[in-house]
Amino acid sequence: MTSEPIKVYSDTEKSKEVEIKLTKKDINRSFILWWLICEISNSYERMQSVAFCASLSPILRKLYRTKEELSEALTRHLNFFNSQGIWGSLIHGITIAMEEQKANKKKIPDSAITGIKTGLMGPFAGIGDTIDWGTLKPIIFALACSFGATGSAFGAFIPFLFTLITFVEGYYLWNFGYSVGRESVKSILQSGWVQELITGASILGLCMMGALAATFVRLEIPLSIDIEGGEPLAIQGLLDSIAPGLLPLFVTFAIYWYLKKKGQNFTIILLSILVLCLIGSFIGIF
Amino acid sequence: MSFGLATFTALLHWLAMGKLGYTFQAVLRQPVVMALPIGLIMGDLSSAMKIGAAINILYIGMVAAGSNLPADEGFAGVIAIPIAVQTGMDTAVAVTLAVPFGVLGVFLDQIRRTINAGFAHRADKHAADANIKGIWYCAVLYPLILTFFLRFPPVFIANLYGASVVEGFINVMPDWTLHGLSVVGGVLPALGFAITVLIIGKGKLIPFFIIGFFMVQYFAIDIMAAAIFGTCIALLVVLMKTGKGARSAT
Repeated sequence: MTSEPIKVYSDTEKSKEVEIKLTKKDINRSFILWWLICEISNSYERMQSVAFCASLSPILRKLYRTKEELSEALTRHLNFFNSQGIWGSLIHGITIAMEEQKANKKKIPDSAITGIKTGLMGPFAGIGDTIDWGTLKPIIFALACSFGATGSAFGAFIPFLFTLITFVEGYYLWNFGYSVGRESVKSILQSGWVQELITGASILGLCMMGALAATFVRLEIPLSIDIEGGEPLAIQGLLDSIAPGLLPLFVTFAIYWYLKKKGQNFTIILLSILVLCLIGSFIGIF
Repeated sequence: MSFGLATFTALLHWLAMGKLGYTFQAVLRQPVVMALPIGLIMGDLSSAMKIGAAINILYIGMVAAGSNLPADEGFAGVIAIPIAVQTGMDTAVAVTLAVPFGVLGVFLDQIRRTINAGFAHRADKHAADANIKGIWYCAVLYPLILTFFLRFPPVFIANLYGASVVEGFINVMPDWTLHGLSVVGGVLPALGFAITVLIIGKGKLIPFFIIGFFMVQYFAIDIMAAAIFGTCIALLVVLMKTGKGARSAT
């Protein structure tokens, strides 16, 4: 991280050098740096590119001994990059392996490295968003919130399980990417087990969301209709006798359909909920 | 509210929104997590946890696809929890109070990511000089300083003066609006779940949502039980489908 003066070797000196090998420590340190900083410098123009370059910089300095080569390598990794931080680790692993080969005079054109990065960042962002953010996070937070809802401080600690799991996950994916190389990683995208993992995680996630919706979504109609010469008919009681929780279920799916058809326009949904509930409260149906 | 609390929550919020530690900051900024230090300082841990959990539910399904935050749960929680605890607010009303801050926080993040582009250009120059230290400044130091100025002042001011402002509002509000706001707070979590279902994105699997929903409605099982049954159902479905499991099961 610190800038020691860069040693400049003459060509004759360099050709005498033995092959530069990266150690396990280099690889792991790079992952930890990435995990620490990957979102800090995120910008609209370049997304995670500065973090990508910075996290690889110790490795690049070890691999490239001349200022020109190092400068080229750093510039190469400031190109646009955006993936999901954990599953995207596979791409870093592959990139490190390719840079290592390139530094050792194997014929690897710059475009091959940039190509593999830009080609894989989208698909793995999709997988990572679905598995880590879309499924694992809601499940763990569901547990945390149900503890928290009882006033228990334990609820504040459970979420760090997510930190732990994803850190270990990223650590393995990073090393996996480095050791198996690009063809094997590409084959992950077509292999069945990722799809099965996503399906299983989706089922569990949906079950949990259903259970949580039943616990946390609240809507009742405290109206009753007077019937001549009989008991007043309570609307909520009538609904409950069909099935409990019909209104919360209806509201959840109404919002789901709106999101699906009209896109994720949160502000409009938030305002609609606010206005409808306030009107309902004013005229007394909620 | 106390100067100490305002300073502390603002610092903690800066740490969380500075995004240090990919899946650490994402956890630290969550209302249910922030509720612990806030509750401890304010001396009402139980209320803070309840309010934090209720606000968190709203944002449970948020996925920042392409790093675009749909709503800023961190900003919502760190401002709404102290104010709600201080004023003794109903949990559902606290959820409603959190929502506008969740929207405002997104703007702060947009400003951050716009200005960060300038640091990326500086990094280009450092790369041309092979100046690794300079790149690290652009990757960590400058963005963190920027986030401090974006995140510390609003949280500090809101937590210093917010409670009395909100209390003033609540005192003049007619009953039906207060009741209405708590109805809103009861319905808003539905948005959180609807988003999660959408993100999981498998229309064919929606019956599993209904199973989870009515398991709780009819049998009043708790969330841990739902997690256990859910895991078994998921395993059964996946193993049966692959055939491997089907054979070994017979």
